[in-house]
Amino acid sequence: MDQNRQGARASYVALAIFVAAWILLPSAVRRFNREAFAEFQAPALHLLGKSRDLATFWEKKSRSTEELAAAGRDLARINAALEIKLNAMDDVRRENIRLREITRYNVPAEYLSVVARVASRDSSSWWQRIVIRKGRNDGIRPGAPVVFGNTVVGRVTAVHLTTSEVDLVTSPGFRCTAYLEGDDQNRIVLVNGVAAPSLGAAKARVSVIPHDYSMPAGQPARVYTTGMGGVFPSRLTLGYLDGGTYSTQVGNFKESLLLPSRDLYNLQEVSVLVPLHQNPGEALMQGDQFQ
Amino acid sequence: MKESSDTRVLPSTPVEKLRLYGVFFFFAVGFLYVLFGLGYRQLVQSTDLKEQSDSQSRRVVLRPPARGRIYDRNGFPLVDNRARWSVKADLASLQKEFRAEYVRLLNAEKAREAVQVDREKLMEDARVRVLQGWLNKVWFVIDETNRTTKLRKPTAKLAAVNAPGERQVNIEELRKHLRERRALPFTLVHDLAFPGTGQALTADDGTKSVARFIEQFPVEGPIRLESDIVRTYPFGAMAAHVLGYVKDTDSLPDNVDDISEIRLESMQKLHYTGKTGAAGVELSYNHVLSGLSGWELWSKTSSGYNQTRLKYSAPVQGSSVMLSLDYRVQQAAESALAKLKDPQGKLLPAAAVMLDVHTGEILSLASQPSFDPNRLADRVSSDYYDEIEKAGGWLNRSTQGLYAPGSTFKVITATAGMRKRVVDWDDALDCGAFFRVGNRDFPEHEPVGFGEVNLDKMLAISCNVWNYQVGLRTGVEALAAEARRFGLDTPLLQTVSDVETGGQPMTELPYAVSRGLVVPDREYKHRIGAGAWNDGDTANMSIGQGYLLTTPLHMACVAASIARGETRTTPSIIHDVSRDGRHVGAQPIGLNPAQLEALRGGMVRCVEEGTARIARIPGLPYAGKTGTAEYFKKGEKAHLAWMIGFAPAENPVVAFAVLVEGQVDTNTWGGKTAGPVAKEMLEAWWPTAVKLPAEDKGAR
Repeated sequence: MDQNRQGARASYVALAIFVAAWILLPSAVRRFNREAFAEFQAPALHLLGKSRDLATFWEKKSRSTEELAAAGRDLARINAALEIKLNAMDDVRRENIRLREITRYNVPAEYLSVVARVASRDSSSWWQRIVIRKGRNDGIRPGAPVVFGNTVVGRVTAVHLTTSEVDLVTSPGFRCTAYLEGDDQNRIVLVNGVAAPSLGAAKARVSVIPHDYSMPAGQPARVYTTGMGGVFPSRLTLGYLDGGTYSTQVGNFKESLLLPSRDLYNLQEVSVLVPLHQNPGEALMQGDQFQ
Repeated sequence: MKESSDTRVLPSTPVEKLRLYGVFFFFAVGFLYVLFGLGYRQLVQSTDLKEQSDSQSRRVVLRPPARGRIYDRNGFPLVDNRARWSVKADLASLQKEFRAEYVRLLNAEKAREAVQVDREKLMEDARVRVLQGWLNKVWFVIDETNRTTKLRKPTAKLAAVNAPGERQVNIEELRKHLRERRALPFTLVHDLAFPGTGQALTADDGTKSVARFIEQFPVEGPIRLESDIVRTYPFGAMAAHVLGYVKDTDSLPDNVDDISEIRLESMQKLHYTGKTGAAGVELSYNHVLSGLSGWELWSKTSSGYNQTRLKYSAPVQGSSVMLSLDYRVQQAAESALAKLKDPQGKLLPAAAVMLDVHTGEILSLASQPSFDPNRLADRVSSDYYDEIEKAGGWLNRSTQGLYAPGSTFKVITATAGMRKRVVDWDDALDCGAFFRVGNRDFPEHEPVGFGEVNLDKMLAISCNVWNYQVGLRTGVEALAAEARRFGLDTPLLQTVSDVETGGQPMTELPYAVSRGLVVPDREYKHRIGAGAWNDGDTANMSIGQGYLLTTPLHMACVAASIARGETRTTPSIIHDVSRDGRHVGAQPIGLNPAQLEALRGGMVRCVEEGTARIARIPGLPYAGKTGTAEYFKKGEKAHLAWMIGFAPAENPVVAFAVLVEGQVDTNTWGGKTAGPVAKEMLEAWWPTAVKLPAEDKGAR
């Protein structure tokens, strides 16, 4: 009995010593530990992602010939439609080049696009954060916007050697400016994630909507990036105003929930737009440089 | 263990029993007292005690409402609101940083072996340094030039006052904030779009700075982004004297107790700074434009900072006001006035008024120089105040400027003469190069004279001698009476009580107008100690010189009254479609149709072929009368240029008056200087006139 008590006491003492040591450790050491842990678990995340890809592969491989033939027909239709769009895009591209040559307009590319597979969702914040299989080795930098097609997915918040963490649009740490479709005056509004309750659905909010703005009739208004903040390129879709919550008055403005335009559950691949130039916000994210 | 031999537990003697009952009674009374006290507090005092508790642990924060918009008569917003984004520091969250910085500074003092350490001062320095560090970060992000540079360590020098661009923490503001509004966040940058300077950092409208902060500054932390409403004047300085401007106020519309379901009056109230009207419509219609304040109920910490928001009610925007101004006419008037400059390129002081003949509604009320109310709507620099003061921009020359009316007064002299039957519309008077009054020759403006002149010709060529003769025949008392009949001695545009509207105030123009109007007579000259009235004074008065003083708005009303064949016009700045065209104190002009026709015809001829022919508009015949009055500027002679009139000549719809203050070195004449301004106003109005058919307004 006494031995048991002594053993328990010893483990409490050991825990207290460990906690005290952790608190007293210099911040650089603690950060190193965190980084080391992230790198330690990175191969596991890679393996997890790849095994999921493999599972998907075998799942598709096991489809019947009829199913594959039907999918092939659908794909052929989609391909035909895309071909037409591609031709139209070619025309637009040629016209664009012609106009640039005439006006001698040469805008340098602002971003480098890095395609990355989604390795996992952060278990501590299921809806709000994903981990992607590209990191510092691939040129990813903190603060870079993450998109899927023409839609904003989120923003890189932490970069490790081979993985990066991305805060989704619905994360409370996400904030950006936006324009509302139908606002002729192009007044900026604020989009930010909302802390979701346990097991509750993740949300984002559109606030500072001018009083005299009204949603276009018949369809939800698109909310898109302004391109003015130096982080997100312009005209990327953030989502749509939720008609059910639109026009809630907060202060002298209106407010609405944002309906994300892509299902954030099923993201498998994203593009990270790495800015060619470092912006001040990116530098601010390296906290220790500024204290 | 030895047990006690004494087994008594109850008293056996009566005395002991009595003692015991006494003790029981004492405890019973005590318990009853406690029970009664608890019951009293629970049942009787609970409401008061709860309020007391709430008032100690909670506070109400008032948020100012958005002010109502101001529109022109066509519904164009002349005054609007825009979102203002400010950066604030949550002082409660910064307590640890303040403390750490304080300890660092204290240790440094000790290391210096300072004899006396002022701990209060050290704490203030610590707060300023911490806040300055954060402010540096804000600037690092919002300034677009910081594309690749790294932020320097926050080695901020302490500033006693705000440096340009709000780059340094204002110690005075911080002290005041900690004294009065400690619980609220401290504002580091008041307007991210125009940080401190009133100018945007970037080439756009300042939105980029806001966007950069939102997207690049860390979301978490003690620095917050807040948005509120600020007044904006989309047309800048246009109609600034009419619209006025707003100023900061600490007394918000305190309607909280009326609209809330909980009793808040006993709680401590804090408030954000709101806006109130300081001049013009913003001031006089403040009660309409101000909305209802919003409120937030907060619990507070023991150190006085806000902790949790418990309840919330949104502010309610104020109502809108629709003015009678037409922004196109107003813009045209101001742009025409802006072309008038002295040889040094400085704007000539001037005014231009246009109003609806029938309703008195003012379409344009321009005064130059002016000011940009946008620059007064937020944080105003004393330099800008001084700049306006030096230029004389505060004075609304249309309603407050006092000037001799010059030859525009001749329409009143002619009316007085015909009403007194000393002259008729077709009488021809001999008008030479001068007219002798007493021992002095009063000159004609044409060196060789005009010969035979009747009313029609007099108005066209602005003959002085005709007016000297008629003025002397009419006499000063009749001339002054006629001027008073036209309201030249009556300050216009004040709040008047109209008995026909049930005694409700009928606000006409929103600001005080000059009370220095002068319609001189014998008594006036005697009163000011200038001696006895003589015929020379009458001759001077007959051509609008001498002691006469009036405003451009009064002369526009005179023109409108003549156009209608009446004596008074009540101008109004508020658009009201239900106006019935009645004017306070208006009487028929008292001329027969031939006389009135001649009076109007002479004014038309003035534009067609007379002194105002430079302002002729093909396709729009209208009536005008020019005037060039002498006045003394710093002891030297200069000229005022005038033109009044109405348009169109038939079925008039609008009347106008233009005045330009010539300088000593400018060549200023009624038709030549004021005429083009009138012309541009009419040209801007004329295309809109289809919306104002004269027939619909009962024109004659």
